[in-house]
Amino acid sequence: MSPGVVMAALRLGVLEARRQPSQFLIVVTAPMFSAMFMSVVLHAGSSIGRVNAVLGPGLIGLWFVALDAAADGIDRERWQGTLESLLAAPAPLTGLVIGRVVAMAIVGLVTLVESWLVAAVGFGVVLRPAHPVLLALSIAVTVFTTVSTATLLAGAFVLTRHAFMLQNSLSYPLYLLGGVLVPVTVLPGWLQPFGRIVFLSWSSDLVRDAFVAGAVAHAALRLAVVVLFGVAALVAARTVVKVVVGNVVRTGSAVRS
Amino acid sequence: MHAVEVRQLRREFDGKRGAPPVVALDNVDLTVPAGTVLGLLGPNGAGKTTLVKILATILLPTSGTVRVLGRDVAANAADVKPLIGLVLGGDRGLYTRVSARNNLLFWAALYRIPKRQARPRCEAMLERFGLRDRADEPVERFSRGMKQRLHLARGLLHEPQLVMLDEPTVGMDPVATLEFRHVVRQLKAEGRTVLLTTHDMAEAEELCDEVSLIDRGEIKFTGSTARVGRLLSGYDRIDFAASQDDVAHRFAALPGVVGVSRRGPGTWRAEVAVNGADRADLIGWLAAQGVADLQTAAPSLEEIYLQVLDTRGMVL
Repeated sequence: MSPGVVMAALRLGVLEARRQPSQFLIVVTAPMFSAMFMSVVLHAGSSIGRVNAVLGPGLIGLWFVALDAAADGIDRERWQGTLESLLAAPAPLTGLVIGRVVAMAIVGLVTLVESWLVAAVGFGVVLRPAHPVLLALSIAVTVFTTVSTATLLAGAFVLTRHAFMLQNSLSYPLYLLGGVLVPVTVLPGWLQPFGRIVFLSWSSDLVRDAFVAGAVAHAALRLAVVVLFGVAALVAARTVVKVVVGNVVRTGSAVRS
Repeated sequence: MHAVEVRQLRREFDGKRGAPPVVALDNVDLTVPAGTVLGLLGPNGAGKTTLVKILATILLPTSGTVRVLGRDVAANAADVKPLIGLVLGGDRGLYTRVSARNNLLFWAALYRIPKRQARPRCEAMLERFGLRDRADEPVERFSRGMKQRLHLARGLLHEPQLVMLDEPTVGMDPVATLEFRHVVRQLKAEGRTVLLTTHDMAEAEELCDEVSLIDRGEIKFTGSTARVGRLLSGYDRIDFAASQDDVAHRFAALPGVVGVSRRGPGTWRAEVAVNGADRADLIGWLAAQGVADLQTAAPSLEEIYLQVLDTRGMVL
């Protein structure tokens, strides 16, 4: 997969987003969620809850925009008539989708910064990571796996014909099982194993631990698990997008006939 | 080596809800010599765009073989893609929220044009197609003609050996159309092969070395523009003025007269399928009816097109 193609798609995605303000809506709503969550945790007097109040809206923002880009990805090319020219070009479609999702993931990352600022400026709660390197690595692998998973979903959405229904139904279970607001360990016991098959639960635990003083258990292994989720999603994404392209050239339609 | 070699091509699409397959192309044979301009003429739904899409590797043949510049489009699509330029007409197919320049830079990356060359080549294309002054405006503000020129710039950016133009002048103003024709001549002079689908007969006559007439998924005829004229040289037309409709009706009934149509008040066009001697008799008959204002001419490509497709548009 050519990095040049991914970069070109990323650039195109950023340029298009600049002329479509609705894509930045999450940047407006995320600080409000941060303020709400921070109000609740401060009222409850929970110290670890403060991390969750900052982390939650940020990770929700990241996942929200990535999922939105996934649902829109290939379908948008279809309705604006660019899909045929893209298929005639030598570059693989997967690179294009990744670039577009990365462009939106950048917007999602802004919400993480916003959440931190809301806590610091609005509530006087300045969160300082105890393990800044781990925090940086955790965010990096989370973005990688979010982009890979969203690329996989972009292909799957086209195959199923029900992109928006799936997009909506995938959001809230992932927020819950991904442990973005509360750690998976506080969920009912029977629900916790399901959380462990969602990469976000590993990501959110890592980010959370980066703010807690003391040694972090199995940090490298846990980072590797998130990367593994990302690589698996990327391999699956290439296959699914190939199936979509195969459908188009075989039947003239992207969806399974 | 031929630029395009199509043998026994058939393309079916699944019928809706268990209906039998729809045959879009059947038994298509077509050869386009390298460095020539082929016009693909046919009515809407004839199969022109399906054929172009197969040549562009975005549709697979159901059966038959299709080779572009010696490479099989089904087995070696990746090798074919860099060699072809596809220009689909219309308002769609561009990223309308970004500028013309950024559209071209994006496509340059998709065609893996090295970064050092991409920007100057995009600038050259913007200049060539008269878009330089508005290169930084979002494409959504462009007229249809400007979008069409940007389509052309995009399709030629990577300097393809085979250029496929699907209805390229739709929406262009006359000046832009003339410029487009100049571009096609330039492409030919550069040794590129051009496949042009069009409804514009004048365009085909002016630009194409050969034309193929396609209808209902079948190639009805392929040959040089001049040969198409000879094919139906038995068909001539006689334009004449007769104030009385009765003269035209009686003329239509004469042997050798295929049809007569009214062109305007008191003016008529007759289509005749006769040899020279018989044509002289028909002209004599008109003269005997007092018709002094008449002229004969060879059929235009449009008339031939209608003839071959068996559309009797001129019958009284």
